[in-house]
Amino acid sequence: MSEKITELFSAPLTFNWTLSFACNFCCSHCYSREEETEELSTEDNCRIVDVLVDKQVPFINFGGGEPLIRKDLFAIAGYAADKGLNVSMNSNGWLVDAASATALKKAGFKSVGISIDSIDPSLHDDFRCMPGSFDRAVAALDHLRDAGIRTTMSSVISKINYQDFRPLLDLAREHGVEQVYLHNFKCSGRGFKNREDLDLSPDEWRSFYEEALQVKAETDDLEISFDDPVISSLPGYDEQSLVKGSSCGKLSLHLRPNGDITPCGFIPLVVGNILHDDFDDIWYNSPVLTKMRNKEAKGKCGDCGSFESCLGGCTARAFATTGDFCEPDPHCWK
Amino acid sequence: MSHIVRDPKIIWRVEKQREEKVRQALEAGDEPSEAGTVILVVSGTMHQLNFVGGSIWQLCDGTRDCEAIVSELAQEFDVEREQLAADVQEFVDDLVDREWLYYE
Repeated sequence: MSEKITELFSAPLTFNWTLSFACNFCCSHCYSREEETEELSTEDNCRIVDVLVDKQVPFINFGGGEPLIRKDLFAIAGYAADKGLNVSMNSNGWLVDAASATALKKAGFKSVGISIDSIDPSLHDDFRCMPGSFDRAVAALDHLRDAGIRTTMSSVISKINYQDFRPLLDLAREHGVEQVYLHNFKCSGRGFKNREDLDLSPDEWRSFYEEALQVKAETDDLEISFDDPVISSLPGYDEQSLVKGSSCGKLSLHLRPNGDITPCGFIPLVVGNILHDDFDDIWYNSPVLTKMRNKEAKGKCGDCGSFESCLGGCTARAFATTGDFCEPDPHCWK
Repeated sequence: MSHIVRDPKIIWRVEKQREEKVRQALEAGDEPSEAGTVILVVSGTMHQLNFVGGSIWQLCDGTRDCEAIVSELAQEFDVEREQLAADVQEFVDDLVDREWLYYE
């Protein structure tokens, strides 16, 4: 897609929406655990839904923080679903029991993702800093499936699991999960502080993706997703993405609890407020979004033949580690 | 049986600014553009429909058969009705094959 993003898209396809930064966990990699901001009322959050409907944004995905900490999640999600939005969320699963799973279904959730990082309960619990969280997360998958909600599983790839991700796929199969996201590690928030202990080296990322892509090619009973632009520099990689490079600021935006918009949850640059500013002006004219959509090749990207495909890799990671969108993704092995 | 309806699982939207731009070009006498004016998200993959395809897609709401769709489009497009009917049928057949549209 060589044309300008805004020549095709009048709005993002997805808003990743943090209703609250509050969480019952304290995960080692969390981008938002130390964030604080005002939270909006139920009424104001429904006003946000009205804006999203008006702009024809088809998908919202609640994240956080733990979305279920907000008691009005069901009301806000139900309001959005009634207006035709496709509603999903990511949760640590702790608060998902049979009753809340039924309530999520009733509110119109199409899909719920549960975070599980290892099939070793002690490793997962340690990574999530919450004893007993593995058992609760697995139980959540079953409650959601029983309630008739499509489930996905999110696993953040780090030192604890990159050589042992296949059993996670088996766990997903055993619990009726349709899609597994093997998320790349983001160097934001606690993830930045703990990156020396948790993040992989560029060569380790390359090895992981080579193996994981092979597994994906051999797998037909489970959808495996990566969403990491740095993969496209691997020889022979030919999957077609909707856009090249990072999708944030192009296909998706992020909402903070006070209505501020950032390109993604991992880039703490506010480009406007959805309730106070004109959305079209933000989407079409924000200097930050414009720069992200038109990255220049800097550093080793300058003479790299893969830049046209990967556009420098993950913009959030480059920004977190260098302060510049256009610097190379620190995960890049080239 | 002959009314045409969109698969409700497909997420789609009209890109209104783009549609307006193409409409203005058509009114100025230009050839119909291939630029996408309707985007569809089908099982996580995005597809684009051009102005003509997008116009047909929007009319496939379960209240019209092919003949009715052709009649509506004939008011907008300056082409022979026979040609228009063939184009509409070809488009509908393709999307029925893909299971994006179906007859009810």
